[in-house]
Amino acid sequence: MRPLPANFIIGAALVAVVIGVAAVSLIWTPHDPADLDIRGKFGDPSAINWLGTDQLGRDVVSQLMAAARTSMAVALGAVMLGGSVGVGLGLLASAIGGWVEDSVMRLADLGFAFPALLFAIMLAAVFGPSLTNAVLAIAFINIPVFARVARAAANQIWTREYVLAARAAGMSKLAITRDHILPNIAAAVIVQATIEFAVAILAEAALSYLGLGAQPPASSWGRMLSEAQTLMYLAPELAVYPGLCIVIAVLGFGLLGDGLRDITDPRLARAR
Amino acid sequence: MFEMNDMTVRFAIGEALRGASLRVAPGDRIGIVGESGSGKSMLAACLMGMVPDAATLSGTLTIDGTDMTQASEAAWQAIRARRAAMIFQEPMTALNPLRRVGDTVAEPMRVHLGMRKAQARDRVATLFDEVGIPDPAARLRMFPHELSGGQRQRVLIALALACDPELLIADEPTTALDANVALKITDLLVHLSRSRNMALVFISHDLAAVARATTEIAVMYGGDIVERGPTADVLADPVHPYSQGLLAARPDLRAFPRDADGSRRRLPTIPGTVPPLHAMARGCRFSGRCPVERNACASVKPAPVGPRQATCHALSRGVA
Amino acid sequence: MATCQAGSHMTYFLFRRTVGFIATLIAVSIVVFSVMNILPGDPALTILGMDATDDALAALREDLGLNDPVMARYFGWVGGALVGDLGVSHSFRVPVAELISERLPMTVSLAVAGMIVTLMIALSVGIFAAANHGKPGDWLTMFLSQLGIAVPAFWLSILLVLLFAVNLRWLPPGGFPGWSDPVAAMRSLILPTVALALVQSAVLARVTRSSALEVMRQDFTRTARASGLSQRRILWRHVLPNALVPIVTIVGMQFAALVTGTIVIENVFYLPGLGRLIFQSIANRDLPTVQALVMLFAVIVVTANFVVDLLYVLIDPRLKART
Repeated sequence: MRPLPANFIIGAALVAVVIGVAAVSLIWTPHDPADLDIRGKFGDPSAINWLGTDQLGRDVVSQLMAAARTSMAVALGAVMLGGSVGVGLGLLASAIGGWVEDSVMRLADLGFAFPALLFAIMLAAVFGPSLTNAVLAIAFINIPVFARVARAAANQIWTREYVLAARAAGMSKLAITRDHILPNIAAAVIVQATIEFAVAILAEAALSYLGLGAQPPASSWGRMLSEAQTLMYLAPELAVYPGLCIVIAVLGFGLLGDGLRDITDPRLARAR
Repeated sequence: MFEMNDMTVRFAIGEALRGASLRVAPGDRIGIVGESGSGKSMLAACLMGMVPDAATLSGTLTIDGTDMTQASEAAWQAIRARRAAMIFQEPMTALNPLRRVGDTVAEPMRVHLGMRKAQARDRVATLFDEVGIPDPAARLRMFPHELSGGQRQRVLIALALACDPELLIADEPTTALDANVALKITDLLVHLSRSRNMALVFISHDLAAVARATTEIAVMYGGDIVERGPTADVLADPVHPYSQGLLAARPDLRAFPRDADGSRRRLPTIPGTVPPLHAMARGCRFSGRCPVERNACASVKPAPVGPRQATCHALSRGVA
Repeated sequence: MATCQAGSHMTYFLFRRTVGFIATLIAVSIVVFSVMNILPGDPALTILGMDATDDALAALREDLGLNDPVMARYFGWVGGALVGDLGVSHSFRVPVAELISERLPMTVSLAVAGMIVTLMIALSVGIFAAANHGKPGDWLTMFLSQLGIAVPAFWLSILLVLLFAVNLRWLPPGGFPGWSDPVAAMRSLILPTVALALVQSAVLARVTRSSALEVMRQDFTRTARASGLSQRRILWRHVLPNALVPIVTIVGMQFAALVTGTIVIENVFYLPGLGRLIFQSIANRDLPTVQALVMLFAVIVVTANFVVDLLYVLIDPRLKART
């Protein structure tokens, strides 16, 4: 057995921590994140408030934990939504081929022209800013990525001998897609999904920072940062913690995705 | 001139070159023959200081009396192109695809000899003419992908000649080329060696090309030079068991020999395959495949014996 | 002759690419228009708010042309845009085009400066890592770039501001004093540019490194070495130009990130550019402005990709022959 690559192990550890914290926050946080205590504002780290309190006296640690929940939820939603649509499109393009494939891929390329931010801006301008809009915007930019990956992987499987045999035996393309193509592209899709998870966390943070994502009272690392920015001269450390959390989460999923890719496709001639 | 003594190239997994000695004088035309993994490319790399960083060298290499064995990269950069030059096996990929071939050939002249652009360009045209490239003025403005394999090899030869080196090492120059082009390139190399009094080290597994191009030959196997001598003599009458096996394996198109009972004779082959570097014997590396092998052969390294400097225990005993 | 054929191939190639480019622009305009106009939601209500009278709403709808058929409104918008009429801003009560041209220099300066610094950092770091492959320098740069990808641009900006503005007080924490004092103007652009560049260069540095390593494995670098050329010369004159070819494509893809990054950074540092304008417009429910700006940014990204596509062919003589 080859040893697991370092990035996989580190990534998995970081991811476990983040998901663990988010899960725990569902049932327990040191304090209620929304609990105000104006007189206790800007408190120093203590046994009660492990990282101190913010400008409204809220416990920082509890806020960070609740924000982890938001991050995970948004990323999960966006990746599942964008992923399923994207993979569906990719499989469709690959199965039918020809001009359908070309037009689907062209459509997907359109998605590349649109940064998530622009899409979120449009939705926010029309519907008002909300977390749902953020999820939709991030899902939207995931679609072309998954479509490309799914199509490329599926194209490789269609030419394999057992698929050719199945087609000769009269199996429908739908059945083949379900039984043969899908299981075989699962690895590539999962790797991409992990990486897109990292992208989604970053995107949600950016959107929340700009006010286009999580609205109060929902916690978000991005929103915490934007609030902290106005208080830079008073409590600079408040600007450090949420950012650190974002980095840990994004790094974790990114490394995990890289590690998964190394494991599932070691043939890839990548310059390590 | 170029003198290599007892050169050993050692990697963590084994020795790619063992105790190789070679002397190259001006105007010599020496052939190095052997199959893949025989160490012939490593020998050539030693002559140019292009051995991989992971290797340790022992032995000596002197160029006109200067010891280059532990020389720095900077010291070698002064030698390369100006004293010794090398052409490699794959002409298709050996040229920078983004540069016109004329600029590529001009570069060493401008860097090492300080030539100006126009001066270098004229000299490139002359060189192209010398190596047999038709219409040099037009060709030097072309990109590599616009030239055929044979033409690219000629460009590479011109590049090697740019600073008038004393030694040209050709590592499998014809292997990737068509048979008739290969012939022309071989003849070109011989002609250049003669006209410039330039030493030529011709490395190949193509025995016919080596026969045509060289006056001396060294046969290599598993990192050892197993036999050496005048080309005609060695090819006609090899003494080392490996050389014998190698030469017996040549298909002869002029005759279709038949046995006494009229059946066609099979092409003889050497049984087994070349072992990987880490599995090489500590003694004679041909052990395990040798028809006249003795017990001691695998563990004791044979010393060169006789006029052919053949490394074979059986020979030193007067058998075979 | 080979060159004649290449010429006509090139023209055909250019034609096909240009058609594709225009088609993409049209598709993008349709998407933008649809999202902002056809999706359920009453713009008049959004603009005037819940307390508006029915009459006011009806008047505004008429004013905005909301009662016209969709197609007519679309073509009206596109037609207007092509001659420079992007509608009128509700909040500022001036033509949108005017708002844009006022703020364009700021955004362009930031984006261009950001791109230049990004390229400088990414190319040198990437080549450095490749030249030191396997040694500590390589691992360090790879770790830093992995970090760079994970660090949000706005957080990095805040950290930079904390260090250089709050702590050391060398540079201003935000805002823009105007172009009249060039020195002060430059000073207020330093942190934004650095923040933008550091984050962008992370991805590009990795791509540069792997591209350079790929090139270094190719035969012509061995030929160059055998010609006695110095390692520096080989790296900069042979490896880099060849490594640039795939890098150029990535740079094109980076334009989407550059646009996003510029918008975010402008908001972090309160710079009066198009990025700030977009957010002010969202807050003001100024739909025509938002629509125009989104379209503008999308056009920039699409155009950048188109130009990169063409550049790619120009750089590599092999592709010129193949087109």
